[in-house]
Amino acid sequence: MGDIFSWWGILSAVGVLTGIGITFGALLGMASVRFKGEENPLVEQIDALLPQTQCGQCGYPGCRPYAEAINQGDALNKCPPGGEATIHALADLLGREPVPLDGEAATEDTVAFIREAECIGCTKCIQACPVDAIIGAAKQMHTVIEDECTGCDLCVAPCPVDCIDMLPRSKPLNQWQPVVTNAPLITSDRQLTRSQHAGL
Amino acid sequence: MPAYEFPGGITPPERKDRSNQSPLRNATLPTQVTLPLKQHSGNPAIPCVAINDTVQVGSLIAQRDGMVSANLHASISGTVTQISDNAITIDADGLDRWQVLPSLNWRAEDHQTTIARLDSCGLVGLGGAGFPAYIKAQIADHHRIDTLVVNAAECEPYITADDLALRHYPTEILEGAQMVARLCGAHQIVVGIEDNKPEAIHALKEALSHFQQSDCQHPVSITMKVIETRYPSGGERQLIKKLLNLDVPSGGLPADVGVLCHNPGTLLAALYAVRDGKPLVERIVTLTGDAISTPGNYWVRLGTSIETLLQQVGLANQQLHQVIVGGPMMGLPLTTLDVPVTKTTNCLIAATREELPPAPSESPCIRCGACESVCPVQLLPQQLHWYARAENDATLEKFHLFDCIECGACSYVCPSYIPLVQDYRSAKQRIRVKRIESAKAEHAKHRFEFRQARLARENAEKQARRQARQAQSRQTSDSSKATDSTVQVVDLRSLRIAQTAAKAAVRKAEKTLARAAAEDPSQRHDDLETQLATAQENLKAADTRLAEARATMAQQESP
Repeated sequence: MGDIFSWWGILSAVGVLTGIGITFGALLGMASVRFKGEENPLVEQIDALLPQTQCGQCGYPGCRPYAEAINQGDALNKCPPGGEATIHALADLLGREPVPLDGEAATEDTVAFIREAECIGCTKCIQACPVDAIIGAAKQMHTVIEDECTGCDLCVAPCPVDCIDMLPRSKPLNQWQPVVTNAPLITSDRQLTRSQHAGL
Repeated sequence: MPAYEFPGGITPPERKDRSNQSPLRNATLPTQVTLPLKQHSGNPAIPCVAINDTVQVGSLIAQRDGMVSANLHASISGTVTQISDNAITIDADGLDRWQVLPSLNWRAEDHQTTIARLDSCGLVGLGGAGFPAYIKAQIADHHRIDTLVVNAAECEPYITADDLALRHYPTEILEGAQMVARLCGAHQIVVGIEDNKPEAIHALKEALSHFQQSDCQHPVSITMKVIETRYPSGGERQLIKKLLNLDVPSGGLPADVGVLCHNPGTLLAALYAVRDGKPLVERIVTLTGDAISTPGNYWVRLGTSIETLLQQVGLANQQLHQVIVGGPMMGLPLTTLDVPVTKTTNCLIAATREELPPAPSESPCIRCGACESVCPVQLLPQQLHWYARAENDATLEKFHLFDCIECGACSYVCPSYIPLVQDYRSAKQRIRVKRIESAKAEHAKHRFEFRQARLARENAEKQARRQARQAQSRQTSDSSKATDSTVQVVDLRSLRIAQTAAKAAVRKAEKTLARAAAEDPSQRHDDLETQLATAQENLKAADTRLAEARATMAQQESP
């Protein structure tokens, strides 16, 4: 009697659990079809960490293609404008080892400047600009919209008369950062300053 | 009315009696002024004069740029001699000729006229932050304001500018308060003042009793509330808590609880701007400290060099240790005296070494918790200290770094002499710059995506044109060959799916833009507009490809 009862118990438990499994499996399957994400969320996250200069120094035509390449296993260290900070952020995100930067890091924020007197209006720089930051038309003078320029210097090479300079970008006042010199915690003159203070 | 309590706070030595003993005086007119284009929060003003232009006191020399910005006026009559990126220099002609605007009767004028006057006079908050006053006056458009708080607490040591202003001009300040209360639709005015200013309290009481006799002119009731002296009761949030027992939410404004806060100096300047048509060209500055011989409060023209100003009041150079702009708790030490007085300079302390000794070098944090018990915002200063030094910005924001009012109470009590506020300030600025940079990156990304979409659309259109040309030539030669139509069918289906997806993306982008525009109509939504344009380009490309495929299909079926 006891045996039969326990068999019944086991079977019913297995049945219920299988039923629950099938129900939830079906629900999850439906949800994954119904709410399917269009794009790979990891690529989005990688793209968000890249500096978006669209400079192509990584060998890809823009930041988004490089983000896709990183997701496929490409190296993290191909982004000079991002520098070490970007490499570390990417390494954190992907759980890889940070590697030293391939190439020289960008030392300062630059902006393209067209010497307008020398511009011949060939539109080559306009075609090269990845963010449409150069305005002008054929046989008309071109100029760079400073706020839109990412400083990628892709327009410098195509210019047939070499009239584009990369100039340091002037920092507006609201981007001023205080220079913080945190005194080292162990200072050789600690004793001196303390006695001075005690005297006051 | 009972007084409520805000948490924390300290009582540092006041040292106010050095500057509040003598009456308010006029500083000597400067021979040259340097007027910085950014004396307020927001964008710098744009110069509207040229070199060698003759200006009078009150002539507009720079116009505000955008919403959050303020006009700038000449503070002496003379000639413009230099216009740099950051400042305009004027040499005085010694005549001090004024150019004032016509007087307005604020009781009769409509709100728009009065607000426009505050705007054109370049009025900003004179308490320290320098927020344009005309924006604050328009608050009634977005919020219901119940109470106007006149912040006369002046809790920082040394500073007595508001104290002297209240003693000399109590009627004018209360009238200015009435005017601002009318603009923002407040039902009551509460003046909060610390009990260490008996003369100012007395003057206010007299002015109030005078007002009560003629209350038809002053429709909004005024109450004065004397509060105990404790730093930082002059902080906006702290004063609102103390006077009205209201808590301003984290990241919110006093307007969120129906309160507007103004400094007495601002109200005085507002009245002058409206009643007398005088732009903001001078302010009351406390000149104090042991290194000057005649400390006191002075009406100072904006742009006066701090060095000449201090020389006038008897600066002893050999005793001078440092000059601090603002109070000793929140002020900034100057590295050079060759800087002008601005709209937000309320106090200059020329301190001797004995008076304000340099802080001893810092020791490690011992986690005593003293900072935590004095913090008026109930933050955890010691935790913020660790994370600020470690540059752990995400955690700093989680610990509400941006609620810190930088009052300096934590640094004041720290037994290890850690300059905590300094850490917080630099961390805040670092985070702000990071935000600006990531917004810029986001913007560049959208522009790049738009360009990619545009190129794809152009490509598709070119392809379609080529196809059409080919089809035409084929029709004329009439030599169509049967191609594999099954491939075409599959292609058509995926193209249709792509087109539907593009349509959905356009609708989504339109919705997002509309929602953002409805939420904040004053802001520009460039990035969202670019996203919408990108989606539209993608849709056009998909349309073109589909039409092209359909045309090819039709051709294959027709023969």
